[in-house]
Amino acid sequence: MKGAVLTTLIVTALSGCATQSFSMRTLPDETPAADNALAIQRAADLAAAKNDVKAPAATPDAAPVTTADAPPMYTYDPWERMNRFTYRFNARFDENVFLPVADGYRRLPGLLRSGVHNFFSNLAEVPTVVNDALQLQVKNGVTSIGRFVINSTIGVGGLFDFASRFHLVKAPATFGSTLSRWGVHPGPFLVLPLLGPSTLRESLGLLGDYGISYGVNVADLYRGDQTYAVTVVDGIDTRANVRFRYYATGSPFEYETIRFLYMRKTLIQDEVLHPQGRPRDQDPKAPAGR
Amino acid sequence: MTRGVLWLCALCTLARVQAAPEDVTVNGQTVIVAGAPTGLADSAALRATIFGTPPQDRAPLPATVPLAEINIKLPWARPVPAVFWFDRRLRVWFSAQDQPAPLAIVISGTGSDGNTSSISTLRAALYGAGYHVLTMPSPTFPGFIVAASRTGVAGDLRQDSGDLYSAMQEIIGKLPRRVQFTDIDLVGYSLGGANAAVVKSIADTQGKLKIHRVVMINPPVSLFASIARLDKLFAVSIGPGEAGIDKLYRKLYARLANLYRASDAVQVDDTDFLSAAGAVLKTDADFSAAIALTFRMDLVNVFFAGDLYAGTGVVIDPKHPPKVGDSLEAIAARLRDKPFSEYFSRVFVPYYAPRRRGATPQTLLADNNLNIIGNALHLSPDYYAQTNSDDLILDQAELSWLKTTLGSRIVVYDHGGHLGNLGERQQIADMLDMLGGRWEGRQR
Repeated sequence: MKGAVLTTLIVTALSGCATQSFSMRTLPDETPAADNALAIQRAADLAAAKNDVKAPAATPDAAPVTTADAPPMYTYDPWERMNRFTYRFNARFDENVFLPVADGYRRLPGLLRSGVHNFFSNLAEVPTVVNDALQLQVKNGVTSIGRFVINSTIGVGGLFDFASRFHLVKAPATFGSTLSRWGVHPGPFLVLPLLGPSTLRESLGLLGDYGISYGVNVADLYRGDQTYAVTVVDGIDTRANVRFRYYATGSPFEYETIRFLYMRKTLIQDEVLHPQGRPRDQDPKAPAGR
Repeated sequence: MTRGVLWLCALCTLARVQAAPEDVTVNGQTVIVAGAPTGLADSAALRATIFGTPPQDRAPLPATVPLAEINIKLPWARPVPAVFWFDRRLRVWFSAQDQPAPLAIVISGTGSDGNTSSISTLRAALYGAGYHVLTMPSPTFPGFIVAASRTGVAGDLRQDSGDLYSAMQEIIGKLPRRVQFTDIDLVGYSLGGANAAVVKSIADTQGKLKIHRVVMINPPVSLFASIARLDKLFAVSIGPGEAGIDKLYRKLYARLANLYRASDAVQVDDTDFLSAAGAVLKTDADFSAAIALTFRMDLVNVFFAGDLYAGTGVVIDPKHPPKVGDSLEAIAARLRDKPFSEYFSRVFVPYYAPRRRGATPQTLLADNNLNIIGNALHLSPDYYAQTNSDDLILDQAELSWLKTTLGSRIVVYDHGGHLGNLGERQQIADMLDMLGGRWEGRQR
């Protein structure tokens, strides 16, 4: 049964409905007034933050990143052919299955969606706590435990994020970041089926985080048939909250663009995790990620 | 070192999507030469061009705007090359009123699709004022070149506008019957402004689709003159070859990394990453470089498609075009170093000259100027324009020509650079007055 569903999805994704000569699809309403109000609020917050002078967080002795620390502009991609194939598959799957479902989901009442989103964010606190422990990040770990306890109880099983109101700010830690702290290089660029751009290290990180969730098994959500429901809803919630459309650029160079940006993002994250400089490559001229 | 360089442009492009207006067909030189003769491009103009209208200055917009996405296959499109498999159908966006209403068609600026943040703002304002709104990509957007161009060689004002006009007819013919129009008006910004005006002039002679009024927002006058200045800007602010761009990339990388270190952010969030990339642009030199790179990035796409369709063999072997799954990085790196003049001489002229009687490089250059419809612009009461006295894409002569030609049907604001006041209260109010026939010719 599950196999049949999966096969149908994949066939749909690959065949697609792009052969129709005309199609019209209703999208969720735009909300320009609210968007602008939010932008005004953000600008005000930013101005306030600028006035609020404080020392750089947790890394007062950090050596500033210099231009010499920047990795070369090209990216290590030994699996390019496979990656491009996966990217194309993802684009088709997204267009024909994932995005229509996410658009439908976005029509549900906001309160319901934020409940679902908070619920999964709360579940993600579990691997965060474990990773904070592995990274010896005591302060963040305690914060995450606090968040999990508050949101799981007062927040009705994680449906509401009350912890943020108590100034316990969400600070996710992944097994990928743990590996980074331990000095593991990002490794080659890797496009994962359905999940999209990643690196070898970040992919192992995802496995690790799933392993932690599976091991802890909060509320028995990760064993048995409910696992599928949890995974699907989590996936839809995640997709609905990511503003990305495959090939919205229309450009034949989109794969290269995404690869460049993803790898730079990952390396800058490494710079943050390593105040004294991220693990350097033997050869500074080797492509980024090698 | 030669590979991958292009993606720095992507960084700037994407950053700008977060922070600022989309398309930049910018007059380069004055941007960085202090005390340039025209005195047009000061720091404020650059800032406005990059960051756009501050949210608190924006016109009031409706709470909700319905939106539908339309994908349409156009019968005249050329066969789709393998590498463009995702651009088979033209994608446009439509917002329908519940009752019969005038239709406003909005055309995007250079290299952009029909759903940019500028488009969103215009769509909301127009919808709020009671229009059905159809938004379309620029004919220089790759998705348009592949799905809607008869030639595949973009950049020709008449050809592109003709394709746009045909696409409009096709789309309007397929809209649901319950959507009823009382009138059709056009709005275009930047290059899209010039396209809109030429579309109306074509419609007026062909008469198949009656187009009433046109508002051009920050239009160019001489297309290729503006672009040539931009190529100079690239040469001056970034420099030729790999060295300049590498330097800029390293600077931005270091700034971004330090920005994140200084904040409490443990995880670098994807969307925040792009906003932050916009935030590390600080000086006039940074702004100039970002503007030049952004335009070059758009040109790379146009050049690639043109070379492929025209079979001119500049970077693509016509006998062995790239296949799906081939790496395009080397091609992109070569294209990044090529200015528009090279596209013009090696793709555009070789393609169009043999196909048009009496065409020479000089006539092709001259044809890409708004003055090809100068008479109509001058005589018809239905063409309007909004621009800024410090718009980077116009020099004084071009601005004067617009003022003389349009007379009381143009409004020139003091500040805003290129599109930097799009969405601002006065701009929107004036645009709606113009489109609705209520404009009384104020001078600002």
